Amino acid sequence: MREQILAALSQYGSPALFAVVMVASIGVPLPVTLLLIVTGSLVAQGVMPMWWAIALASTGSVLGDQIGYAIGRWGGAALVSRFAGLLGGPERIAKAEDHARRWEGPGVFFTRWLVTPLGSLINFASGIAEYPWLRFLFWDVLGEALGAVLYIVLGRIFSDRVMELDAALGDFSWMILALVAAAVLGWVIWRYLRGQGR
Amino acid sequence: MQYSNPGYDGVVQRPSRLLILALAFGVALIGTFIFGWRAGRHARHLRWENEPIRPWMSVPFVAHTHHVPAAVLFHAIGLEPQPQDRRPLRTIAREQHRPVEDVVRDLERALAAAGHTHPALETPGGKAP
Repeated sequence: MREQILAALSQYGSPALFAVVMVASIGVPLPVTLLLIVTGSLVAQGVMPMWWAIALASTGSVLGDQIGYAIGRWGGAALVSRFAGLLGGPERIAKAEDHARRWEGPGVFFTRWLVTPLGSLINFASGIAEYPWLRFLFWDVLGEALGAVLYIVLGRIFSDRVMELDAALGDFSWMILALVAAAVLGWVIWRYLRGQGR
Repeated sequence: MQYSNPGYDGVVQRPSRLLILALAFGVALIGTFIFGWRAGRHARHLRWENEPIRPWMSVPFVAHTHHVPAAVLFHAIGLEPQPQDRRPLRTIAREQHRPVEDVVRDLERALAAAGHTHPALETPGGKAP
């Protein structure tokens, strides 16, 4: 799948970029970060202008996110449960819904470019939780634009090392996730031990 | 927190919960170091290693990642140089009725040969192998 997507981007450029980021934002697990990095490399090779690549990637992602939000908000329980399997099951959706309620705007913003695996879940969850659409749109556009700029610019800078860059960023994301998990667990243990001491 | 399991007074459950938390904490810490080390290793390769040739890449893409003129690579696989030809190597191989590995091998040979004539292939420690 990864090979085909990158081949399509390499051969068809803009239409492939737009289609893949949109489909991925709806919830299909596709290698979007690598796609944006390779897009940055294509920018460096003069295949497409930087502003055009960023605009296309942002617009495609926002459109996909809006479809996810609309499914959550107006699609009804049957449609959401149909996508639930694809997104890790109803429990994961319920967690994301809780996350959406608690973190609201910043939650939408950070899942666009930093904690991207949760992005599609947050779209559905924000719709189900009836998070105001205009506010969702605002944070969505802001986060997706930042994500597109970040990864495309990185791809442009390291245009001759795209696979290594993708691997480095992938491991870096996992490191951040593990670090956050360690911090949360450490905090829970500390609270537990403090409670025992009283 | 309620520990009202019949047959237990709660004393047994608390340490077992703490043990699970401690184990998870340890796993998370180990994960942080392993992924941090891997990210660092990839970051070092970013600077010194050439990109491997993949079947999804086009000839101009390979030329860009290895800093050689695309024409050299087009000639190596028997094609007329066309900067607009963005076909993936897999498609080119299919059209030439041969395995993509053959195309990649031809390109690697051309890159190795070009390494003697194109200074861009040189690494700071000397010429690329």
